[in-house]
Amino acid sequence: MNKNFQKVFANAKSENRSCFVAFVTGMDPDYESSKKILIELSKSCDVIEVGVSFNTSTSDSSIIMSANDRAIKSGARTEKIFQLIKEVKNEITSDTAFVTMGYLNQIHVYGIDRYIKDCKKSGVDGCIVVDSNNESPEDELIFKGLTKNDIAFIKLIAPTNDSAYIKQSLKKCSSWVYIISYAGVTGSKDVNLDNVKKLSKMIRKQSKIPIGVGFGIKSQDDVKKVSKLADLVVCGSSIVNKIKEGSQNGLSNHDLAHFVGEYVNNLSKGVKH
Amino acid sequence: MKLMKIPPFKELNPPDNLGYWTNKKTGEKYGGQYISPLLIPNLKKVEAGFKKAMKNKKFLAGLEEQLVNHIGIITPILRSLELEDIAGGEKKIGKIFLKRTDLHHDSSHKPVSAFSSVYFAKHILKAKKIITETGASMNARAVASACAKLGLECEVHIGAVDAEKVSLNKDITELYGAKIVECHDSTKTLLPAMAAALRSWQSDPAAMYVVGSVCGPHPYPLMVRTFASIIGRIAKKQMKDLTGKLPSNVFAVCGGGSNLNAISYPYYKDKKVNIFGIESAGKGISSGQHAATLTSNAPIGILLGARSNVLMNNDGQIDESHTEASGLDFSGVGPEICYMHSINRIQFRATSDKEAQETFLMMCRKTGILPAIEACYVIHAALKEIKKRKNPKENHLIHLCGSGESNVARMLKYKREHE
Repeated sequence: MNKNFQKVFANAKSENRSCFVAFVTGMDPDYESSKKILIELSKSCDVIEVGVSFNTSTSDSSIIMSANDRAIKSGARTEKIFQLIKEVKNEITSDTAFVTMGYLNQIHVYGIDRYIKDCKKSGVDGCIVVDSNNESPEDELIFKGLTKNDIAFIKLIAPTNDSAYIKQSLKKCSSWVYIISYAGVTGSKDVNLDNVKKLSKMIRKQSKIPIGVGFGIKSQDDVKKVSKLADLVVCGSSIVNKIKEGSQNGLSNHDLAHFVGEYVNNLSKGVKH
Repeated sequence: MKLMKIPPFKELNPPDNLGYWTNKKTGEKYGGQYISPLLIPNLKKVEAGFKKAMKNKKFLAGLEEQLVNHIGIITPILRSLELEDIAGGEKKIGKIFLKRTDLHHDSSHKPVSAFSSVYFAKHILKAKKIITETGASMNARAVASACAKLGLECEVHIGAVDAEKVSLNKDITELYGAKIVECHDSTKTLLPAMAAALRSWQSDPAAMYVVGSVCGPHPYPLMVRTFASIIGRIAKKQMKDLTGKLPSNVFAVCGGGSNLNAISYPYYKDKKVNIFGIESAGKGISSGQHAATLTSNAPIGILLGARSNVLMNNDGQIDESHTEASGLDFSGVGPEICYMHSINRIQFRATSDKEAQETFLMMCRKTGILPAIEACYVIHAALKEIKKRKNPKENHLIHLCGSGESNVARMLKYKREHE
């Protein structure tokens, strides 16, 4: 397991709670605001997923798609996202782990080896690659590179997957596994606890790996419910919506970071057991 | 009426079991299955169903009967003396033949793969609902028509820009009973519409997704070209009957690649037959505003579930394609076509929008045919190539892949502004 994730899980265990994970699109709405938001979020989040924008993503809701558009317009590029994470990590004092979340095309174009090297350099603790098929040659290269560098490869498991698929994913998965709670795109439905229970059971039969749950977790109450079933609780679309709301209302960088930070801090309180 | 016996399908260029076509010289792979884990089981289901279907004689016979009697798939190949004259005359350039898939039910080559996919969804997968996307709406219209006939629910994703360009086809699609979802993401054209359809499928995995071209994750490129290749199998036999031999050159336009795949597939192993794929050069390749993925040597990327050549920037963001023809407005090309390009089996050329528009007017005036604007890109490039070859012994086959009804308003405006 990645060293920073070991600390993250140990901290949560000592406080008898699950871990809180926030997703934001990197550089949404711009570099400086995003940096301030990430620093602010690090105060209440155990893990931050930073979205690497792709303008033709196939699994994101319109909320995330618009965030991607905003970020790309403000100059988001893969190397900028690495720079952002590096600068944020240098400034924060918490053990917050950083995960990149994106699509394979960006990594392919950037170069798989270069991507992994830059993950290491900028202090990225884990990677999620939404459309990286377990059986593809690229997936194998990413798996080997991340493993060699002690960076987590976080695999997604969906309610439609069977135990054979789960087995195949867990072979390459490290630090934690991410359950998609319903069939649909990010943030489009309510979290489905039955699916979470069913999938957790299937995963637990094969592995003791920590389980994270995302998709449809929009309120502190949702966080509370999910934290009873999962080691990590992921919130995304509702936070991204807050960023949109704050920036549309013309908040300054500083105020926007506080506005979003306060919202996330409130959500994160749901993880206490 | 005695109809021709359609030659059966033979697999001439199989991908590996992960859906890749691999160029042995370069090691480059084309195809594959890059998609959220949510859709992997669906794709496996489609893949298993497709394998089963291709061995199911009753299914294949039933489908063929419907394609013959409902789609009217045995469209003629007509010699065009007018085009021969324009190119320099038979004595100088040989004979020009047009495969008239514009005469299919619903007026394009699309109904063949669309009807086959919906028939497959109903009879093999037992699906009740179809999700699809469209550019020129030819696919949507064809899928909606098939769903109406076969009693399936139909949801169509169309880019808002395309919806305005081809409103007639869109209206027909609506009359056939489809639910039309206009896509306002990014460029508002085929590409974001396809991403939207894939997202919709993730929310509704019990439905079947129908791809309008030979694109998308495995097994779609394989399945769509297999279904569509019946066009080429019929055309190959017709050419043999008409001329006693194989054509020297086969020409087809290429957006995603379905009509090129459809007509050229049966000739893959006939090395004497030259195959030409024609892309849209839009406002000119050097302008950057085009849809000529292969002609412009676009790099390999991973787009909408497959590894193939893609118009994109150096950060991997997909570039917007530009062309007058909605049916060609796409930033990638199907993986098998990219592979055939990489091994130099298919040669590529590009025609500008202006050249296609002029060809449209020429076709109307000189041949009395109203071709789809998409088909005008290939007719222009074919005439240019035929003139250059100047070989009276050659027979040329051009795929006239659609009718231009839905282009009438824009083309009439063009005519009035330019004459």
